[in-house]
This record gives sequence, structure tokens and C-alpha cells, in this order.
Amino acid sequence: MIEVEAILALAMFATAMLALLAGYPVALTLGGVGLIFGIIGVELGLIPLPILRNLPSRILGSMENQVLISVPLFVLMGVILERSRVADDLLDTAGRLLQNVKGGMGYAVVIVGALLAASTGIVGATVVTMTLIALPAMLRQGYDPKLATGTIAASGTLGQIIPPSIVLILLADAVSTANQAAAARSGQGAGVVSVGDLFAGAIVPGLMLVGLYLLYLLCVSIIKPDYTPDLAPDADQPALRLRDVLITLGAPLLLILAVLGSILGGLASPTEAAGVGAGGALLLAGLRLAPGQSSKWPVRFILAALAALPLLGLLARNFDLSLIATSGLLQLVLTAFAIGLCFTLIFGLAMAALVLKRARQLHDTLNSGTQITSMVFLILIGASLFALVFRALGGDHYVEALLTGLPGGMWGALVATMLVMFVLGFFLDFIEIVFVVVPIVAPPLIMLGADPVWLAILMALNLQTSFLTPPFGFALFYLRGAAPDGVETLDIWRGAIPFIGLQLLMILLVASIPALATHLPDQLR
Amino acid sequence: MASLIDIIGTGLIWLGLALLPFILWPIAVLIQPGILHRAASRLIKLQDRVSGIAISVAASLAFFIILIQLLSVLLRYVFGLSFSWLTDSIIFSFASIFMLGAAGTLKSDGHVRVDIFRRYFSPKLSAIVELAGSLLFLVPICLLVIYSSAGLVARSWSIFEPFNESDGLPVRYLFKSLVPVFAVLMINQGLSQATKAALILRGYRSAADTAHNQDATL
Repeated sequence: MIEVEAILALAMFATAMLALLAGYPVALTLGGVGLIFGIIGVELGLIPLPILRNLPSRILGSMENQVLISVPLFVLMGVILERSRVADDLLDTAGRLLQNVKGGMGYAVVIVGALLAASTGIVGATVVTMTLIALPAMLRQGYDPKLATGTIAASGTLGQIIPPSIVLILLADAVSTANQAAAARSGQGAGVVSVGDLFAGAIVPGLMLVGLYLLYLLCVSIIKPDYTPDLAPDADQPALRLRDVLITLGAPLLLILAVLGSILGGLASPTEAAGVGAGGALLLAGLRLAPGQSSKWPVRFILAALAALPLLGLLARNFDLSLIATSGLLQLVLTAFAIGLCFTLIFGLAMAALVLKRARQLHDTLNSGTQITSMVFLILIGASLFALVFRALGGDHYVEALLTGLPGGMWGALVATMLVMFVLGFFLDFIEIVFVVVPIVAPPLIMLGADPVWLAILMALNLQTSFLTPPFGFALFYLRGAAPDGVETLDIWRGAIPFIGLQLLMILLVASIPALATHLPDQLR
Repeated sequence: MASLIDIIGTGLIWLGLALLPFILWPIAVLIQPGILHRAASRLIKLQDRVSGIAISVAASLAFFIILIQLLSVLLRYVFGLSFSWLTDSIIFSFASIFMLGAAGTLKSDGHVRVDIFRRYFSPKLSAIVELAGSLLFLVPICLLVIYSSAGLVARSWSIFEPFNESDGLPVRYLFKSLVPVFAVLMINQGLSQATKAALILRGYRSAADTAHNQDATL
């Protein structure tokens, strides 16, 4: 006989999914359904009342979570780059660099998608930006609409998987907790799954995906030449100068690589790297928006600050500077020099902020970053209330029994989980799935023998595919919203199909060769 | 000092209890829009302004956190210094961003929704969802948060709890107070959204007003 708790837990999950369709904010719907079922549970005497009173300590836990502090910083870095049109320039420059290559705009979209991804990791922003800039240009040049929209939608979802993506940070937190839960249950010690591990694990699959996309575009341009027209260079546009290319393409690239490199190399924590990344993005944004303004001084200060940043890094790596005990002349001079550089940097940041303020961008940028952060963490709060009640009803044991009872052991459970997540991906964002579903399904899967990093990468790839799949895929909705009316919805759907094939190929590759995801983290550990 | 805090705390409890019936205000507006719609509109403006101020503070802290995180990196890696009060300030700013920003985000419709069906809803149906969601989900959750965090926060205030380290920020009681403050701000904005929905349902406000309001704040 099945217990009442199990039925209630199942009913709770089903009710939440149905209630979400009404369109009230997800975070509050999850929390509200959790609360209602919690009250039912208390009334039936199934769960003790004090469990509901644990919510504030859960909220405090999120407020003090060291890993998650990097989330607002990465969000701000992305929003600053996007709002100041650094991202637009990136796509524009890449497109013009490749305009003499057949299908060049397509390659540019994939590469820039991967780069922007690195900074935002929120599907909507990347897809909308690229649709607005690249799609009209591609259609004007005579690209096949199916190919153009498919490329843009798929490249926009790269942000989920290519580090430093925000969802990977959230996933790292969830999987790490799940890993500890699994270890506690099976009585073994568990290694911590860090953000760095997931970033390292995602790099090879992420880059392989980029490679597969590029390869596909190459094949199309050979097999169906009329899909990707080669076009005489636009005579109206001024020729690209090397200096512009270096600034618009090189600077953001360098910033992203520095942030990622310092995390993967173990030089800095994700939070520290994100802080530097956000500061660097602010400087780049100031540089980008300054030329329109009368005074020349801000640009000089910002450039000085941009120069100070790597110099400080160099000093920190090679010398042991101390403000407290200086010994020897060289160290004294270097310390004084470093202090000067710090002030240059801080002054440059202030100038950049001033430039953004004058361009009427500072308020909007900070506001938008604050809203995205609030959105993410309200889901965390709502989901923790949901999880609190679900656990109290024994829902996690029920799911565990269900998963371990499936035929095929770990693989059976894995396939079932992946299918469920794929369907959930149609109407839930990555963030909600990470906070609600992963804590429930990951511990049993890890206990069945799945490697936590491998599992997380598979989940990320799976959800990324889900966002691309018609008719409900998120990326397709965002693209539809931003695309010109002349583009048929059916073309968007058909354009996505080849990329879904590439995604499935990648999932199968990672599933059958776990080393693709686990080798690099093991090497770096 | 401690007794003064006690008096303020007791006062807050009574104030909270006195304001409790106010969660039915949107229903009252729904039933009697003719009499109440002017007062309701004025109150909505006031409520929105409160959330607006809170999110402005949050946005300033978003800028501040970049600066202090960068400062902490410089001090640690270049000069080998680290301070607990700096780490605590980063955590405090981080938490304040979303605890103070959540209500303003609600006002600007920045919280994700599942909009597979919602996009086909009429303004009235959307308003019904908004009204029901605010009163059935948002308000009860926040009441639970306030009710269950009261003891936690009171204990923290009673000893003026500092952050753990000896050189940490001495204001952990303020940090913990963010929890009930968040809930109060959310109830305030939730009731504003619910009242807007009630006015839309009774034809005293168009859905476009709310949308316009959102554009202005985003």
C-alpha cells in the first residue's frame, strides 16, 4: 500500500506544475503551493509544524551562500557589456571580419554567441541581442531564413553550457549539496563539487558544440551554396581598422579569458574573478560610450585603469608586497607603485561610472542587474519552501525508490530523469529546474554511481536542447519575439531541427565518453 | 537601550496585527470600486514608491558590491591583506540586492512567469490570476516568513549580534532583519499589484496603465 504522504507529495508536484501554467510568477507559485500542501500536511498530522518555521533559516542560508555571491557579479558583468553595446560591436566586428568568407555571418553568430554566452548565461538576452543585430543583416545578404534563425537560436543557448555561465554556478551549488546528501545516505565521504569543477567540465563539451555548429555551417555552405550567399563587401561601410578590431573584439575576449582562466587555474575564487570581471566590464563600457561625450579626460583615465589592471595582476603574481612590513628599497618602490596603480584603477572606475551616468545608462544597467538577481534569488526562496514541504512529506524518498526501482540501474534512472527534465524545460527556466528538480533527482542518481560533474554537464546539455525544441523551446520564443514579421514561425522551427540533432549527438558523446566532462576537472584538481 | 528595543519590538508586533486586516483591501476594492477607487489609486502610487525606493537602494548596492569586491581582491592578492569586515560588507550588499530588490522587481514584472498560455489571456483573465496569486500565494508566504523569523531576529537584536569574526561587521542583527523587511516589502507590493488587478477587473484602470508603469521603471 502506498502511503498518504507519497500521494500528497505527488499531488503537490502535479499541482505546482498545473498552477505554474496560470502564469503567476514561478517563484511565488512554487512557494505558495508548497505552503498550501504544508498546511494540509500539518492538519493531517503528517508533518510537524516546526518544519515550516525553518524557512527563515533557509533564506538566511541563501543570503550567506559564498558560492552564490558570484551570481550578481556575473549578472552585472553581462548586463554592463550588453547595455553599453559592447556586445553589439562584438557581433558587428566579427561579422565584418568574416564577410569575405562564404557564410561568414553564420560563423560570426556562433562565435559571438559562445563569447556572449560566457558573460550572460541568460538565454533571453543573448538570443534577443543577436536576433536584433544579426538576423536582419543575414536576411538582407540572402541567407536562408531557416538556417539564419536556427543558427541564432542555437548559438543563443550556448550561454547555458559555456562558462562562466550563471546557471552552471547555480547547478554547482545544487549538485554539490546533492553529492553530500548522497554521501551521507550511503555513508561515504564526498568530495566537494566546486564551481570551478563544473566550469572545467563544461569547457570541452561546450567547445565541441561550437565546433559542431561551425562544421554544420561549413557543410551547408558546400552542399547548398544558395543558403549562404557570398556577398561583395558593402562599399558604404568604412574599412575595418586594426585598432578597432583589437578594441572591440580583443578587449572583451581578453576580459572573459582572464576571468575564466583565473577560476580554472585556481588563482581566484569565482566570486573574486567575477568582481574583477564586472569591474573590467564597467571600464570597457565607459570606453565604449565615452567618445560621444565632450570631455576627452574620462577616456584617458579609463585607459590608464585598463592598463593598471593587468599590471597589478603581474605584480601580485611575481612579488610579495606587503603594506605592513616592507623590507628593502625595491619592495618599497614596488609597493608604492602598486598603491598608485590601485588608485588609478579606482579613479578609472569612477570615471567609467560617470560616463555611463552621462549616457543615461548607469541607472538602467544597475536596475536591470538588480532585477535579474532578485528574480533568481526569489526563485531560490520559493523553491526552498517547496522543497522543505516536499522533503517533509518524504517526497524525496519516493522519487529515490522510483528511480532506483527502474530497470537498467543507473542508466535507466538517468534516461528517465533526462526525459522528464527535457519536458520540464519546455515551460520551466533552467534556474527553476536547478532549484526544484536537481535536489530531488540528483542524490539517488549519484548513489547509483553517476559522477556529479558528468551528471551536471549532461543535465545542462539536455536543458539546452530542450530550449531549442519546437514548439515550446524558450530560445525560439525569444527569437520569434525579436524577429521581423516576414520570418515564418514554421521556418524558425524547421531551422532549429538540425541543431537539435547536433545537440543530441553531443549528449550521446558525453554520455558514452564521460571523460569529455570529467577529465579536465580531474586534471585541474 | 535593551528595553527601548523591547518597546519598539512590541510596538511592531501590534502594528503588524493592526495592519493585518489590510490584506483584504484588494477584495474591498473589488467589491466597492465606486467608493474606493480614488483612495486605491493614491495608495497604489504610494506603495509603488516604497518599492521604488527599496530597489534604488538595491541598485546602488549592486554598484557598491563591484567596488568592494574589487577592493577585496586587490588587498588580498596584491598586498596580502584580508579583512573580515570587508567580506561581511560584500555578503551584506549581496543579500540586500535581492532582499530589497525583489519587491521592485515584482512591480516591474521582472519575475519569470510561465507564459505558454498567459500570452493568450485577456487582460481580465490576467488580472484574475494576479489577484488570486497575490492573495493566495504571495501574502501567505510572506506572513509565514514574518511570523517564523520574528523570534530569530528578536534574539539577534537582543544581543546586538555581530558577524562571527572579531574584526567582522558588528551588525549581523541588521543583516538578519533583511528577512522580515523583505517580506513586508513584498506584501506591500503584492497588495499594490492585487489592487491594480481589482481596478482592472472593475474597469477603473486599463491593463495599459500597469504596462506603462512598468516601462517607466525598467
